[in-house]
Amino acid sequence: MQTDISLVAQVAVFGNKRAFDELVRRYQSPVRRFFLSQTLGDSQLSDDLAQDTFIKAYTSIRSFKGLASFQTWLMRIAYNVFYDYTRSNHPTEDVDVVPQREGKSDNSSLKMDLYAALALLKPDERTCITLQLIDGYDIAGIAKITGLKDGTVKSHLSRGKEKLATYLRQNGYDR
Amino acid sequence: MDMIDNDERLLQQFFSEAANQKIEDNGFTDRVMQQLASSNVQRSTFNVQRVSRLWTWFCISVFVVLFVVFRGWELLAVQFEVMLRTMATQSFSINLMMLFSVIFGLLLVGTGEVISSELVRK
Repeated sequence: MQTDISLVAQVAVFGNKRAFDELVRRYQSPVRRFFLSQTLGDSQLSDDLAQDTFIKAYTSIRSFKGLASFQTWLMRIAYNVFYDYTRSNHPTEDVDVVPQREGKSDNSSLKMDLYAALALLKPDERTCITLQLIDGYDIAGIAKITGLKDGTVKSHLSRGKEKLATYLRQNGYDR
Repeated sequence: MDMIDNDERLLQQFFSEAANQKIEDNGFTDRVMQQLASSNVQRSTFNVQRVSRLWTWFCISVFVVLFVVFRGWELLAVQFEVMLRTMATQSFSINLMMLFSVIFGLLLVGTGEVISSELVRK
């Protein structure tokens, strides 16, 4: 299996579309999952934004210097795509009505609960929380992707976790 | 402290399924590649490459012209001779014309890099 750097070099130098095809296949899952979390489960919108992300990655692949991993570089583009989207669409930041559930959820409704819980968070809190708890990035990685300072990331994480823990306890997840 | 640990455990547990979720491709990659093949993306990429190539040729042409006009080979020969002669005495001299040529060359290449990266960013 070819490394990311080798595939990126083939795209950047020779415009090799097959190499880029391989990169898209490799990273479509984390990128689409990131957008699903940010859009609270809107799969159509997530796919559109993910598509924009990969096209931007293709057109600017020469600016990839290999200082961070290709996935981190890609997630930074994804974050910028989402940031531009929210800025141009002015969505309402807070969701007032969040479905309350009784007892512990089963698997089929877990996704609904996940998005309901994420809806409680402000966009930046949601981004930091999902990057850490779903994608497994540490604080430095989140700061690199979002361009926020480490301290700001920490406070978003702390506030977000507090809100989520309260929500989960209220809905019986601690039983 | 226990409360924070409990919260952390609760959150890890709640997000664990989402963290392990792998989204199936289901034709997504093909759609991206189709979109890439569309004229707009190809045209913009082609424009960037063309501007970049033109700039490279412009730099090379300017260098060749300057090299001929200022008889670069003579300057190089003189510089080389001076270098050989002064090596023994450890002294150091700089030809201003040579220095100017190097700085000018670096500026041309640097400007090209900036233009190219700006175009790519767009």
